[in-house]
Amino acid sequence: MIPIVHKNTCTGCGNCAEVCPPQAISLLDEKAHIEADFCEECGFCAAECPVEAISIPFPLSDE
Amino acid sequence: MEKYPHIFQKGRIGKIGTKNRIKYAATETNFPFSDGYVSDKEVAYMEAQARGGAGVVTTQGAYPDKRGEGKGFMGMMAICDDRFIPGLARIADVIRQNGALSSLQILHCGREGGVELDYCLMPSVVPQKLSYFKPPRVITKDEIKEAVKDHIDAARRAQDAGFDMIELSGIVGYLISTFISRYTNKRTDEYGGDLRKRCKLMIEIIQGVKAQVGDMPVGIRLCGHELLDDRGGNTMEESVESFKIAEEAGADYVSVTVGWHESSQSVITRDVPMGHWLYVAEAVKKRVNIAVMMAFRQFLPHIPEKAIASGQIDFWEVCRPMIADPELPQKAREGREDEIIPCIACNLCFSRLYYHQPIMCSVRPTLGHEGEKSWGYYGFPRIEKKKKIVIVGGGPAGLQCAATVAEKGHSVTLFEKNSQLGGNILLASKVDDGAIELLRPIKTLETLCQKAGVEFRLGVECTPDMLKEEHADTAVIATGSIIRTLSQGILTPHDVVGEEKNPGRRVVIIGGNGVGLGIAVFLLRHSDYQLTVIEESGRVGRDVNPFYLWQYMGLMKTKKVVFLTRTRVSGIEGTLVRVSGPSGEKMIETDSIIMALLEPAKNRWETVQDIAREIYFIGDAKKPRRINNAIHDGYRLGMVL
Repeated sequence: MIPIVHKNTCTGCGNCAEVCPPQAISLLDEKAHIEADFCEECGFCAAECPVEAISIPFPLSDE
Repeated sequence: MEKYPHIFQKGRIGKIGTKNRIKYAATETNFPFSDGYVSDKEVAYMEAQARGGAGVVTTQGAYPDKRGEGKGFMGMMAICDDRFIPGLARIADVIRQNGALSSLQILHCGREGGVELDYCLMPSVVPQKLSYFKPPRVITKDEIKEAVKDHIDAARRAQDAGFDMIELSGIVGYLISTFISRYTNKRTDEYGGDLRKRCKLMIEIIQGVKAQVGDMPVGIRLCGHELLDDRGGNTMEESVESFKIAEEAGADYVSVTVGWHESSQSVITRDVPMGHWLYVAEAVKKRVNIAVMMAFRQFLPHIPEKAIASGQIDFWEVCRPMIADPELPQKAREGREDEIIPCIACNLCFSRLYYHQPIMCSVRPTLGHEGEKSWGYYGFPRIEKKKKIVIVGGGPAGLQCAATVAEKGHSVTLFEKNSQLGGNILLASKVDDGAIELLRPIKTLETLCQKAGVEFRLGVECTPDMLKEEHADTAVIATGSIIRTLSQGILTPHDVVGEEKNPGRRVVIIGGNGVGLGIAVFLLRHSDYQLTVIEESGRVGRDVNPFYLWQYMGLMKTKKVVFLTRTRVSGIEGTLVRVSGPSGEKMIETDSIIMALLEPAKNRWETVQDIAREIYFIGDAKKPRRINNAIHDGYRLGMVL
């Protein structure tokens, strides 16, 4: 699952980019931007973010 | 005659017979939904495991409690309510329909539980060593009674869902293990004290579950050797004795595991030789008279074959090697070992669980897509139009792509400039103890390519002009990366690892990612060096799996490697490297410089027009990354060609 960046919360600190194994994250207009083609969906960025601006869209069932 | 007569002989667990001695071991996947329901993905995955030929297939651990204190993973399966029975029954059904016996694992994660809560439950408050896990809260006596009842109710649901056996889990820091271990159980009531008292929770659960399910076999996974001597854990003798206590309580089989997640030594990484932990299983086997099993680094079938023959274990449990290839049992039985997609113990699967992501496999891109036809886990439909596909580069990306498209029926030629296939894996396989195992998937891919009719052109460096002459329908560039050039006289990873050119005593390594750290490890394993690693970002080893990074960093700390982060090289003057970093500019005097920064090879090819009707870039040629990316790139492109 490709993580979602919540632009309003993102402070543009760049910590996520530093832990991204395939270097798929860059800062665009001072916000984290994940390049989907290179994202390997590891979730490191979400775990690293100090302000919880990145989340993993873990699905719920239809029940 | 069968090559593995002991593995493929019939077995017995409690009152039921098994068709062979292979058991797919419980493995969390994060495939189920976050509310605990089984997903189609999980069912398809379990179906693949059952079709692969194991005698017994174990489900992933399911948490038994409604509050989620037992839930240790975001996508962990639940068995805490009757409403989960229909989904669980789907798993029992696909296992039965494919000729295997099913075992449902009940797992309360204890010290590693409460993934969505702000605490976890433990016999006593012992602070977490791993900061990832939740702060402990003491479980009350009423809550212990509740936990026992939760396990019994879960067993009833498993029986209703149609499973053949129940497995309980008390390993690595999960609830039952935290009671058994002296490290985490400091209680002064009847659940703490000597070993037998510390086993009281386990005894009550086994007895309660047995009473609930009647003749159905009930097994338990316990730790045979905690490797927690530095934290006051159980002795191995105590751990082995806990299996005897489980047998006395009524267990029909035991699975022997090694290590806790907090153990400060490697247990399942490549530096641990295959079969290393069998002595622990053997000690248990000598103590009990029920079926004994073990997983743990028995990656090749001849290892458990020998272990069963010599009475160390009764069943071969397979975890990671069957994530990598669910058909492992069938291929071993049919003498097709060379087609088994081999686990490389990279632990990509494992580490992903803790980042709330479904497991993924470096060497098998179809993991988690077994039920999706387009992914071709059960094979691709024959293509309608045969294409001539030329692949440049015989590393993991090129080989994987070649194997995939050739199997689909295309005509495939693969150029490799070296006389040997493998690309950068040839270097990576020399870095550290056990790294030679990285060559196993290369060998398998080579075999698969040969069987599918790929034409290899080894020792031929294919230039853009040569490629043009091939008149291919599709060209795939998988040439790997190129080393960034800075100035003359700088060594490359190939110089140092491939040709074993000795650098001087003082070495500057430019680049602190996996390649740079790999070179550092390689050098330090051979001799003493004074190493400085220069990294532009704030962190080294971003692309090294945590299971290996802590070992590497430990080694480098001991060898006093200097890391300069947020630092770049601004110039090289003779034996001096000029760097600029947070504390300004400075010069480092060195004997040798090794460049570990890579660039994609893409640019070189994009300048040539009309190479082929279509051209694709995969692996490091597209962007320098890791082996999993290379193999996945190759497969994903192969899927659509």
